[in-house]
Amino acid sequence: MSKRNSYTKKMPPKLAIRFLRWYCRPELVDEVEGDLYELFQRRIETEGLQRARLRYWLNVLMFFHPDYIKKRKSYHTNHTAMLRHNFLIAFRNFQRHRSTFFINLVGLSSGLACALLIFMWVNDEIGVDKFHEKDAQLFQLLEQGKNSEGVWVGEYTSGLMAETLAEEVPEVEYAVATRLREKGVILSIDDRYVRAAALFASEDFFNTFSFDLMQGNRDQVLADKNSVVISERLAINLFNTTENIVGKTVNFQDDQPFQVAGVFADVPANSSLQFDFVLSFEKFKEIEPNTLDWNFNTTKVYTVLQETASVQEFRSKIAGFLKDKRNNSNSTLLARPFSDGYLYGNYENGKQIRGRIEYVRLFSIIAVFILLIACINFMNLATAKASRRLKEIGVKKAIGAKRKTLIFQYLSESLLMASASLLIAILLVLLFLPQFNEITGKQLSLNLDVALVGTIVGIVLSTGLIAGSYPAFYLSGLDSVTMMRGHTLGTLRNAAKGQWARRGLVIFQFALSVLLIVSVVVVYQQIDFVQTKNLGYEKDNVLYFDIEGRVGEQLETFLSELRSVPGVMNAASIGQSIVDGSNSFSIDDWPGKPEDVNFPSFEMRPVTYDLLETLGVEMATGRVFSSEFSSEGSKIIFNQAAINMMGLSDPIGEVIRIGQTELEIIGITKNFHFRSLHEEVSPLFFVLRPSWTHQVVAKIEAGREREAIDRLQEFYQAYNPRYSFSYQFLDEDYQALYAAEQRVSNLSKYFAGIAIIISCLGLFGLATFTAERRLKEIGIRKALGASNFRIVRLLSAEFTQMVLIAILIALPISYFIVQQWLNDFAFSIDLRWWYFAGAGLIALLTAWFTVGFQTIKAARVNPVQCLKNE
Amino acid sequence: MSQRNHLGEFEEIVLLTVGILYDDAYGLAITDEIEQRTSRKVTLSSVHKTLMRLEQKGYLHSQMGGASEERGGRKKRLFTITNSGKEALREARQMRNALWQAIPHIVWEGGNI
Repeated sequence: MSKRNSYTKKMPPKLAIRFLRWYCRPELVDEVEGDLYELFQRRIETEGLQRARLRYWLNVLMFFHPDYIKKRKSYHTNHTAMLRHNFLIAFRNFQRHRSTFFINLVGLSSGLACALLIFMWVNDEIGVDKFHEKDAQLFQLLEQGKNSEGVWVGEYTSGLMAETLAEEVPEVEYAVATRLREKGVILSIDDRYVRAAALFASEDFFNTFSFDLMQGNRDQVLADKNSVVISERLAINLFNTTENIVGKTVNFQDDQPFQVAGVFADVPANSSLQFDFVLSFEKFKEIEPNTLDWNFNTTKVYTVLQETASVQEFRSKIAGFLKDKRNNSNSTLLARPFSDGYLYGNYENGKQIRGRIEYVRLFSIIAVFILLIACINFMNLATAKASRRLKEIGVKKAIGAKRKTLIFQYLSESLLMASASLLIAILLVLLFLPQFNEITGKQLSLNLDVALVGTIVGIVLSTGLIAGSYPAFYLSGLDSVTMMRGHTLGTLRNAAKGQWARRGLVIFQFALSVLLIVSVVVVYQQIDFVQTKNLGYEKDNVLYFDIEGRVGEQLETFLSELRSVPGVMNAASIGQSIVDGSNSFSIDDWPGKPEDVNFPSFEMRPVTYDLLETLGVEMATGRVFSSEFSSEGSKIIFNQAAINMMGLSDPIGEVIRIGQTELEIIGITKNFHFRSLHEEVSPLFFVLRPSWTHQVVAKIEAGREREAIDRLQEFYQAYNPRYSFSYQFLDEDYQALYAAEQRVSNLSKYFAGIAIIISCLGLFGLATFTAERRLKEIGIRKALGASNFRIVRLLSAEFTQMVLIAILIALPISYFIVQQWLNDFAFSIDLRWWYFAGAGLIALLTAWFTVGFQTIKAARVNPVQCLKNE
Repeated sequence: MSQRNHLGEFEEIVLLTVGILYDDAYGLAITDEIEQRTSRKVTLSSVHKTLMRLEQKGYLHSQMGGASEERGGRKKRLFTITNSGKEALREARQMRNALWQAIPHIVWEGGNI
């Protein structure tokens, strides 16, 4: 074995050599091969065998050039005449078989349109966040730790992280701390109020990211604590202009004046960071004093490494960074390339696994499938119809047409077809782009740039070649004499083979359709399950809004007055959104805490009285915060997951410690799903801290929502006249957690529909063909007394068989695939037999319907019509 | 300006390199030499093509050299510059010199005479 290896090791790839010798002009082979051999040997030394072999191939391909290619004998002496002849034949053919032509055109063009749309979507997804100049050195820092369920990874870390890293780690060129307030913060000048997404970011933000700063100095815009950098759009909203606004004053949250230090171009749509204005991170520290604590995770941190720095070294340096910063912590730091975050954002057990890339792959596969199905129709119909063209081919062959000429003719015909379909496909894309954008939540437009044109040409060429290949190679190989006799394909020796190929293709096509249908059914069921599952709290009819202006100053009064507004059933406030907020704390001590185990942080939600009641969170034991008791600020409520993790058996009354603060456990809530159902419920606790809350949560009466909201609005305006009342519904937020799945579900519904339509088009064509071919047989059978029903059954039997086989093949495969997808959810539906049976039935029914239409028509013919010639 | 005499920039470089290598000018050696001297990346196939073109134009003459172990037993094609090749190079140089000389001094001095 090893001996053989050492011998073959020195040789360039055999296939490449053969290819070179095949095409290269004999007088040049020697020198080229010699040069390449020398180069190859040298590259083994410098770049290793793998690369050397690859480069050898590349070189061979680069020599594949007209100057080097052997001149071969040409059989067509008059190329243009031949070409014109081919086109003419093609057009006449299209005209003669209009229905086939139409089926092909509809199938191919809708297939191509789908593929184009998907390509544009995929291209856009792949490009997200790639536009930053320092993309290669740009990393986001993540925190990772262990708990009883495995390894967790979090995007937030301490507010001290960025500056400490910049000081202590030499590889770091810039490190910026950021915090996004995407729900919108009020900016105002005079009496103009604008709600916009605020980003707090430290000084080097514009050095780290390539957001286009149009006015202001990259190094200084965020240096001053009281300066703000605003987007072009926001500038126009506030000042009606972007000119001469640097230095002007804008009010933040109504009462804090900021100086405009710069203007940046609106954040492009393909950025995962979206914000309207940037404030200094120093300001955030002031607003959130917790930021200056290693135990609080309040911040997302991004860093640019020095160009010369080794990422490997950097990673190993920061791995244990938190150990001495945060006492008793075993959390480690990870550095993830920033532009990977969007597509590969999901972690499982600490390993970067999936994310949106799954959907990118999924849709690419769907695009290929749909195109394939369309191509198969084309191939099938072309072979089927070929019997009618046998004479044409036979005559051509007899007068000396070479096989190559015939192949060329068929291929040019299918390429012509593909090009015509492309034109229609582009029209379809233009027509449906707005709807597509709505479903996908993107702003795609058909920019005919080099990449897209290249891809389109590639797709059309390969579609034409694949679609035309079977008839081209199969038919051209037939024997001319047999063909000249004018027999149909059915009587030819090769016929059985051809029929099987055709059947195989139909089966394949339908199997793909069934697979798509099963996926759609399962995705739909799972999404439905997710949205109707009892989460452990009531998300319906709950709205929330930010605490602003006077509301914050007199929170308790506001809340109690709010509760008496007609239609409002209860109200309270909370620190972060119950659904997707994030604020974590580590708990330093509890009775019986093991010394040697490291526990992850707990999610923390500061609340006011009544919050748990407002949300309808159920208690497992104990009580909720209540004003009937004193010193509730030193009490704490955990969820069941937290208690399980700490391993407390009789938790009520026990005292735990966070930093220097001791808190008494008064209640345990049942587990409720405050994150998406992709995740298990993680440990969480509530503390009574009215001054830490940011959002008012109000439960309104079901059935009277409209009225309740109007009243609420009036009340709010009276209370806080300078602010606009802007609220959101909790259930809508919850749905947003599944936006990706929702979109996939919607899209796949359409794609599955299109796939099955294209499949049926093919079936329709084949049924038409079969019925026509067997017309005489039908006539005889009818003359002998067969009923219409028997004839329909006879004609449908073959198709039924094919579709049934397709279903049998598709079901186990689709079971496997959807099971994989469901594994992504911590809570998922059970697969039921009828999902699969249903999908099979849909496929079968549509097939019957399609075929039935043709066969009934065939069965109803008057036998006199088709037998009179005999 | 006859069409025949036109020498492209890359053609000129290749032709010159053939001259530099004198008796060992073949495809790979020429490619290496160009990469070293001009520090730009050139591909073997583009050099080959240019060599062919130059030979067709009559600027180069070639003959097959000996086979060797290091080339896997393959022969090399050795190039030499023909007289008309030399002429073309000279002409190219003269034309360039003439153009250089035609540039007014002020361009180089930037106004400070």
